[in-house]
Amino acid sequence: MHNCSCENPLVPGIVEVVKIIDETPDIKNFYVRSENGVPFNVMPGQLAMVSLVPVGEGMFSVSWQEENDHLEFAIKRTGLMTDELHKIEVGQKLGVRGPYGNGFPVEECKGKNMLFIAGGIGLAPLRSFIKYCFKHREDYGKITILYGSRSAADLCFKDELFEKWPQEKDTEVYVTIDNPEEGWDGHVGFVPAYLEELNPSPEGTIAVICGPPIMIKFALQSLEKMGYNDEQVITTLEMRMKCGIGKCGRCNIGSEYICLDGPVFNLAQLKQLPPEW
Amino acid sequence: MKVLKTGKLEQVIDRLAQQADVYVPMLRGQQSGFYSWKTYNEDFDDLMFDILNVYQSPKHLILPQTEKMYSFRQEGQEVSIEEVAADIEPKVIMGIRSCDVRGIEYLDEVFLTKGYVDEFYKARRDKITIIANACYNPGKNCFCDSMGVSPTDPEAADVIMREVNGGYVWDVKTEKGEAITKQIEDLLEEQDVELFSLKPFLRKVEYDGVAEKLKDMFEHPMWEKYSEPCQTCGICTYLCPTCYCFDIQVKAWGDEGYRFRCWDSCMYHEYTQMAGGHNPREAAKERFRNRFLHKLQFFPERYGRPLCTGCGRCIVACPTGVSIIKIIDEVKEAETGA
Repeated sequence: MHNCSCENPLVPGIVEVVKIIDETPDIKNFYVRSENGVPFNVMPGQLAMVSLVPVGEGMFSVSWQEENDHLEFAIKRTGLMTDELHKIEVGQKLGVRGPYGNGFPVEECKGKNMLFIAGGIGLAPLRSFIKYCFKHREDYGKITILYGSRSAADLCFKDELFEKWPQEKDTEVYVTIDNPEEGWDGHVGFVPAYLEELNPSPEGTIAVICGPPIMIKFALQSLEKMGYNDEQVITTLEMRMKCGIGKCGRCNIGSEYICLDGPVFNLAQLKQLPPEW
Repeated sequence: MKVLKTGKLEQVIDRLAQQADVYVPMLRGQQSGFYSWKTYNEDFDDLMFDILNVYQSPKHLILPQTEKMYSFRQEGQEVSIEEVAADIEPKVIMGIRSCDVRGIEYLDEVFLTKGYVDEFYKARRDKITIIANACYNPGKNCFCDSMGVSPTDPEAADVIMREVNGGYVWDVKTEKGEAITKQIEDLLEEQDVELFSLKPFLRKVEYDGVAEKLKDMFEHPMWEKYSEPCQTCGICTYLCPTCYCFDIQVKAWGDEGYRFRCWDSCMYHEYTQMAGGHNPREAAKERFRNRFLHKLQFFPERYGRPLCTGCGRCIVACPTGVSIIKIIDEVKEAETGA
């Protein structure tokens, strides 16, 4: 099989799907490998263009890179391409090109307490940073993870949420669902309200947030109320993307291209941009 | 000065066409454009070196309307990808005006700078020689000088033809220009001639300070007012020598096919429509505003110059009378802090 090794940034290389995990009824986590392990090295929060070659391409956050082994993409079924992607089986070859974008500021966050706030599939990009912090545990302070979804069935990465991450040193994991349901004895309520209830101190802390626009909107208000300044709040944006290299035009917000200058911005930077995010 | 006599113009084109595909301005049917000399038919086409700017800019010669990127084949779970050989035939664009040369300069900035080189673009661009035709007599919708373009001295030209009585001064600017001149040197004559002087522009627009001012005008009511008649047809974006947005799409039959890119337009709803249903520029007004802010504020912030060359095509072609000149004027006159 021809594994395109050309230098052209718009032409994908070929990877194989080696594992598929059903995270929720509409989210699957795809593990992909190239012949050499990973097709390219990715930093937390960076993006890659995945193609089910005869169907289409879509830009996804890389939700984890297992060094020299594989990349993980947690993908929600939401459209034509992801519908088809959810039908594939292990062994399927995909196209992948990247990595794109700036990624999370892992260096600048060293020595800080980390507060991760996620809703639904919004945990997928944050997971790469969360796992990075655990891998370099001594570089970061206290880690607090707050995650919510519509229902218990819609929580992804359950094994990590309930088993692995709470075992990590100096780490607290809080999980909530929108409405009460049978068999759920955890917290019930929306993420922003739970955040205010927990009231994690802004001192020496960086908050990293990703989720549905409505959750982000209210969580940002909560953080402001709790005393977080704009430099302490980081988010990762989503726009429609085609090229990934800042040429095709569509993912701009103001003069910034989300695929190239983003997708990660702090709130101070976002407030400089037109309110299209 | 080296002079190309009008009577020898076709001979020069013929000669250049032996080594490259030469595109020249012609009137074909109802519209003017740059067409290959190979397709010239004197019964149907008029060679028009005196036309100011043709209806359709020659940007498609560097950024084709559709372009294959790679072909693929799927067998079971296996997939193979093969790059499509780039179209590498050398091209000469002859008779191009300053506004359209500036358009190419902006395409160069987008596709060749800021972190990534677009290989498809570069393959074409490297093979293009630009023979510009200097303007001394601006047309009724021309305002290139207001947008910082010199009508008589286009920067990216390899050769500049300067119209004089009885022909053109052949003004070589680059090594590429020298190379092409070697092919036709015997058809040029050494002569002392007087150059025309530039006539005044009929259209003027004050762009100075507009980019800065627009930073505070995102919510200004002018966007509502000017976008109201816009039908979001996108003709402005297709005719614009600087609009470069593209889409990437797939054409597949059974288990094989190819991926290609094609022109797109920021005026269309699908342009920013996301799979989950969210669209950051849902309304026509929002797309209209983004288009003009991109030209007048965002591109200048990123690349230092406005993404408009003053060619006037969008003003002429718009079916509902939208004018970038009126918009710049309104920004200029608007109260600050609006």
